[in-house]
Amino acid sequence: MQMLVASSSSLRDTATKSDDNPETIESGMDEFSDCFSAGSLLDSIDFDELFAGLDGDPDALPDLEILGDYSISGGTGDDRGQSSDDGNDAVSGSPFGSGSGLDAGSVCSPGEVVVDKAGDMDVKKDGPEGHFGKVKKSAASAGKAGRSKARGSDGNRKVKVDWTPELHKRFVQAVEQLGEKAVPSRILEIMGTDGLTRHNIASHLQKYRSHRKHLIAREAEAASWNQRRHMYGGARGGGMGKRVAVSPWLLPTIGFPPAMSGPMHHHPTVRPLHVWGHPSGDPSQTNTMWPKHILPHQLRPPHLHPRPVWAPPHLPYGQSQGMPCYPPPPQRFMAPPVPGIPHHAMYKTDPRAAAAGPATILHPPLDSSPSNESIDAALEDVLAKPWLPLPIGLKAPAIDTVVGELQRQGVPQIPPS
Amino acid sequence: MSNSSASYIHMVQHLIEKCLIFHMTKEECMEALSKHGNIQPVITSTVWSELEKENKEFFKLYTSSQVKVKGGAETGALIHKMISDTSKDDSDE
Repeated sequence: MQMLVASSSSLRDTATKSDDNPETIESGMDEFSDCFSAGSLLDSIDFDELFAGLDGDPDALPDLEILGDYSISGGTGDDRGQSSDDGNDAVSGSPFGSGSGLDAGSVCSPGEVVVDKAGDMDVKKDGPEGHFGKVKKSAASAGKAGRSKARGSDGNRKVKVDWTPELHKRFVQAVEQLGEKAVPSRILEIMGTDGLTRHNIASHLQKYRSHRKHLIAREAEAASWNQRRHMYGGARGGGMGKRVAVSPWLLPTIGFPPAMSGPMHHHPTVRPLHVWGHPSGDPSQTNTMWPKHILPHQLRPPHLHPRPVWAPPHLPYGQSQGMPCYPPPPQRFMAPPVPGIPHHAMYKTDPRAAAAGPATILHPPLDSSPSNESIDAALEDVLAKPWLPLPIGLKAPAIDTVVGELQRQGVPQIPPS
Repeated sequence: MSNSSASYIHMVQHLIEKCLIFHMTKEECMEALSKHGNIQPVITSTVWSELEKENKEFFKLYTSSQVKVKGGAETGALIHKMISDTSKDDSDE
């Protein structure tokens, strides 16, 4: 294939210099000698005739029909197979003669002319547009054919696919359909879009995947928060959907792990856990809303971001294997510590007086067992399984600093004996 | 030797983080860790302070959200109202 390109380039460049052509062609053709008997091939070419009709058009190429038996290498055919558009090289039914290796089927009707858009060659003339032109196009950039679909996105020879939302949607559908087997060649098949090459798909796939990963992590966080709110009867379930719709990379089928729902099935005495504050669609639910989670909504310490919210064995809300964090709200959830409670001890004492109001997230909703239990459970879990990842993952202080400070405070030994 | 210090301190940090999830204050945390984990309050306090230094922004917000939580009648009422409104919305949907 390459050799064909080379030769076609040569031809192209020297189209106007018919004197030079024979040499150029010859040099190019030398490479063909392996395939064809060089002597006979060259002998059979009448270069004058080849270039006769060119009229100085630099882009015109000889109609290779003249070459008779010469056939294209398989590679070209493949390209053609991939991007059938490519076949529409305006060669009005002029295969290369009988021996052409070209897939006849790939030669489209003259009406379709990719090259036009490409602006590479002047295809108005069917005649001169010959084999070499085809070869060149297909060899050089099969993806160019895609331009017939993605009109005018690029005037030059570069492969450039315009990923319109619709095209992207089809892409995503194909990917999802294929699941694990979403490899570019299959995606291409399913999409059935002319003019797309595996390469286009592959690079798009790569971008898509990396983008998805990033977004899924974030969306999952938001999702869990939203889901929980929904569970508690107060949620704006639509918030999730809204947010998902924002990114073009995400289709509504974001599936955050069902694992979340498991642990959500409660434990009556467990305190409800808050979510990482996350902006919701409702601007009123900002910081003024009582603790979304630990932090008011906008901010999370930057290093929290990369936390894999969905690491299955570990959830960032301090939930560990044994510790359910999402109590079912018997009533509306997220209640604030009851108004009027002046001091911090409210964690322990539940102002039941306000039971008429919304259940508090900070207190076990209905029963009188102290939230101590859940704290205890959480802490014991840490003690029992020190290898578990940190629930928040705050930046750790330097050990030396801590030890030093403790010594100053009168704790000489860590751990204390 | 330093390894055991490191892992101990790491454990304390872990415990503190659990408390943070419960939105506890430093004092509550000291109490909880002492009670449930036998960690000397001074140790909890020191580790907490060091964590705070290393994670200033986080703690700043943590504290301010705590203030809001424990805010007072007005805040509570506001929150109560918000929740009611939210519930209403939900039922409308």
